[in-house]
Amino acid sequence: MATASAPVPHTGIAGLIRGLQRRPAVGKLLLLAVVAAVLVPIVHARWASGAWPDALTVDLSGPLGSASEWIIDNRDSHPLFLYFFGHISNAVTLSVRAVYLALLAVGWAGVTAAAGLIAWRVAGVRLALTTAVAFLVCGLLGMWVPTMQTLALMVVAVVASVVLGALLGLAAGLSDRMYRALRPVLDTMQVLPAFAYLLPVVLVFGIGVPAAVLATVVYAAPPMARLTALGLRGADEGVMEAVDSLGATARQRLLTARLPLARKELLLGLNQTIMMALSMAVIASVIGAGGLGDRVYQALASVDVGAALAAGIPIVLLAVVLDRTTGAAGERIGASEPDQGALPGGRGWTAAAAVTVVVALAGRFADRLEWPDAWTVAIAEPVNNAVGWMTDHLYTGVPLVGGTADWAGHFTTWVLDPVRDGLQWLPWWSVLLIVAALAWLIGTWRTALTAVLAMAAIGVLGVWKPSLDTLSQVLAAVAVTLVLGVATGIAAARSARVDRMLRPVLDVFQTMPQFVYLIPVVALFGVGRAPAVAAAVVYALPAVVRITAQGLRQVDPGALESARSLGATSGQQLRQVQLPLARSALLLAVNQGVVLVLAVVIIGGLVGGGALGYDVVFGLAQGDLATGLVAGAAIVCLGLMLDRVTQPTERHAKKGA
Amino acid sequence: MSTTVAAPVATQTPADAPVFSVDGLWKVFGPKAERVPADPELAALSPAELRQRTGCNAAVRDVSFDVRKGEVFVVMGLSGSGKSTLVRCLTRLIEPTYGKIAIEGEDVLGMDKSRLRELRRRRAAMVFQHFGLLPHRSVLDNVAYGLEIQGVGKAERRAKAEEVVAKVGLEGMEQRRPGQLSGGQQQRVGLARALAVDPEVLLFDEPFSALDPLIRRDMQEEVIRLHREEGRTMVFITHDLNEALRLGDRIALMRDGRIVQLGTPEEIVGSPADDYVREFVRDVPREQVMTVRTAMRPAAADEAGHGPAVAPEATVSEAIEAVARSGCPARVMDDGRCVGVVDSEALLEVVAGTGEHGEGQVDEPGRPAAPAPGEGVA
Repeated sequence: MATASAPVPHTGIAGLIRGLQRRPAVGKLLLLAVVAAVLVPIVHARWASGAWPDALTVDLSGPLGSASEWIIDNRDSHPLFLYFFGHISNAVTLSVRAVYLALLAVGWAGVTAAAGLIAWRVAGVRLALTTAVAFLVCGLLGMWVPTMQTLALMVVAVVASVVLGALLGLAAGLSDRMYRALRPVLDTMQVLPAFAYLLPVVLVFGIGVPAAVLATVVYAAPPMARLTALGLRGADEGVMEAVDSLGATARQRLLTARLPLARKELLLGLNQTIMMALSMAVIASVIGAGGLGDRVYQALASVDVGAALAAGIPIVLLAVVLDRTTGAAGERIGASEPDQGALPGGRGWTAAAAVTVVVALAGRFADRLEWPDAWTVAIAEPVNNAVGWMTDHLYTGVPLVGGTADWAGHFTTWVLDPVRDGLQWLPWWSVLLIVAALAWLIGTWRTALTAVLAMAAIGVLGVWKPSLDTLSQVLAAVAVTLVLGVATGIAAARSARVDRMLRPVLDVFQTMPQFVYLIPVVALFGVGRAPAVAAAVVYALPAVVRITAQGLRQVDPGALESARSLGATSGQQLRQVQLPLARSALLLAVNQGVVLVLAVVIIGGLVGGGALGYDVVFGLAQGDLATGLVAGAAIVCLGLMLDRVTQPTERHAKKGA
Repeated sequence: MSTTVAAPVATQTPADAPVFSVDGLWKVFGPKAERVPADPELAALSPAELRQRTGCNAAVRDVSFDVRKGEVFVVMGLSGSGKSTLVRCLTRLIEPTYGKIAIEGEDVLGMDKSRLRELRRRRAAMVFQHFGLLPHRSVLDNVAYGLEIQGVGKAERRAKAEEVVAKVGLEGMEQRRPGQLSGGQQQRVGLARALAVDPEVLLFDEPFSALDPLIRRDMQEEVIRLHREEGRTMVFITHDLNEALRLGDRIALMRDGRIVQLGTPEEIVGSPADDYVREFVRDVPREQVMTVRTAMRPAAADEAGHGPAVAPEATVSEAIEAVARSGCPARVMDDGRCVGVVDSEALLEVVAGTGEHGEGQVDEPGRPAAPAPGEGVA
């Protein structure tokens, strides 16, 4: 990039040309400037307005509205629904119901025992205890039934996602053409905010459990597919050649070599799929998923932080337990150690199953299937009191530092409003130009083209203004995230102590579903745009910190050593060696930060974030699917644009958001 | 030399079909690769010109050789010389572009899928530079893998695998995973896996390049021992000249996809075909490769009766020792008959590389040379 190369003074035209050759970035910008100089006057003469000109919009609400009405009218009669979607819907409802009833029939003791024993088998004693305690806490908080509802939905969704993802991944892993076709789709699906998936499924299936499960499957299957394909394609070529040289058939190759070699990626895929399914299962409460997410949603709607927390804690516990268990399974397999547990292989599983059955039967005979009411701890009340006290004492007027609500207010007034107004004041074509310039400088002309088209699509959809509102929140949140995240990342990379302290915190924060971040920010900042931004910052921060720290730590130690040997101060080392060499990691951090922030800013529509997220929620609440769908499409475009603008030339393996 | 020395050599009868017979083999990578061997003009181009003209890369260029039953045939060359591609062409792990390959007279390139699979399963097994072991299987299951692919029952293949594991000296490690073994041990597993299927010919693709020098030496001795015990035909790829000289009955030296010289170690060292080979073998300790047969001169009448006796296959360094000890020229005795003498002058010429012995000697093709004292001659 131009800013990274050393400043060389040039004089005269020859110098300028030489300078251009040396700095392709300047060349790109000049080319863009020429294009702009030709196009802008023409465009400006025809559609002179700051916002996207009406003449260039296509109003989709009419056709979309009639389409949704047609679907609602024909849902019970049209053969497409009767014989296809209807069957899917029924199958999903039935299986969720069946799993739910099974979980209830096993009883709380049985479920806790089963969960603990599974964790013991795949991850060891410590995690088994953690798991059992986590389930008991869910019960204690009076959330046993919602937890089981969420779990039932999760089980069905995860099984479907894994099957679907593995099949797609298998196809993409074995066929190059399939891979080329699927990869961009999967890449794109992974950067889209969860909210964008809700409306299309609601359009077809209506609000309810089937829609929630299907949205979850669509959201959670891509990482499984991606990682399966990646694992299959990444099989050690030397091993595969050796297998070939022994005369293996295609089937033997796949079953005895390629699949086992990809076990690590498959388990990582399972882990990411489960985490994303949980995240989505919670968010899908706005389209009728029920369970824990619904409790949080209802509580947030009435700003009842205590109730939201009571439902939010089980979500976090579920997330941590699921993540650690599947993660430990992956590590154990990767360690290439033969199974040396106390009870190896099949015998251990048999023992676990036997204990589960005994516990479940005991619960049944003791007539203790349901969690006893007497054993619950109502935390909503004390939490609400605490929040009330906080509202009274910390919201505003604290001497010197002000209050949290004051901060939120200031942030809105001094940062969010100016950014939003500035963006909306900019002529629409200049926004497109800026997008093109940024995307082209960081990535390639392809990414620039996609980004500009996506941004233009937003204008065409007629949601230019709310999209820029969302964009302003994203930009503000990303700026804060990057400042905090990179600073923390540098600290973690430079000090092993900071790193050790941060690691468990980051681990927990990275596993939590997006939805639960809304609870504390509402408690602290009330509702509005500032809390949405705060939640986004908190959600995106861990990933940025981690990527930055990792990037800095992976800088070639030889380069660092030679800088030290020349007597560079640690500041010089950081500025002149580490940061430049970690450039690709930093870009990745920006990319991830943007994608993650967008996801939460959109969800922020639930707590007064307004803009596109609100349109989606409004569309769902009012049954006005057209508005919601247009907003959803705009979210897709915005996500695409932001991802492409910040996309470094080569893509790295990423964590599932 | 061959005209003067007629040693009876019986390791090879003309009726024996060679294990592998390669004729005019080409492997060209790149767009429309098949036109290169077909077009004499393109075929004559140098690699750089070819790449420029056609965008193709000829890894193997018009290579012909026979691998005889029971011999260790070494293909040696620097990286990029096409030797690894060549060995993969033998079992069509890489599909050759042009030419003929026959295994015991049977056309390899004409084989259908199942026939080819059969070839890979039972007739030719390969040992790889980076071992190619399955990390999720135990040593025993890795060794038994080839048999599993063939569909051999579990008990039988385990028994066979155990036997082979013992043969390569890995007893007690049957249940370990490859990741827990050292590089040398891993390669023993690779070797055992190839041996377990009892192939007619073993193909080695730079098997010891990734190992430490000491372990490499151990493994070379292991291969020499196996060859002595079983007499299995081996094709051995290496970039290490010393390894080639130690192991090879015959060596094909490759450069830019062509074989620049094919002969016994003694021929390669003693009479390099061109400057490239000469440069290549310059630092080889000649006295350990050259045999007395090449250094000797006809005995004068008075010399045939006394002096220490050495065999024609003895290395020059052995003869030096004998001459130095006795102080007079040594007689070269073959079947109790004096076929010539070597004096200190002739021996020194070999060591210095100044003698004319090198040019055009030994051309009896089948005669196994004695490159290293350890190997011995039957």
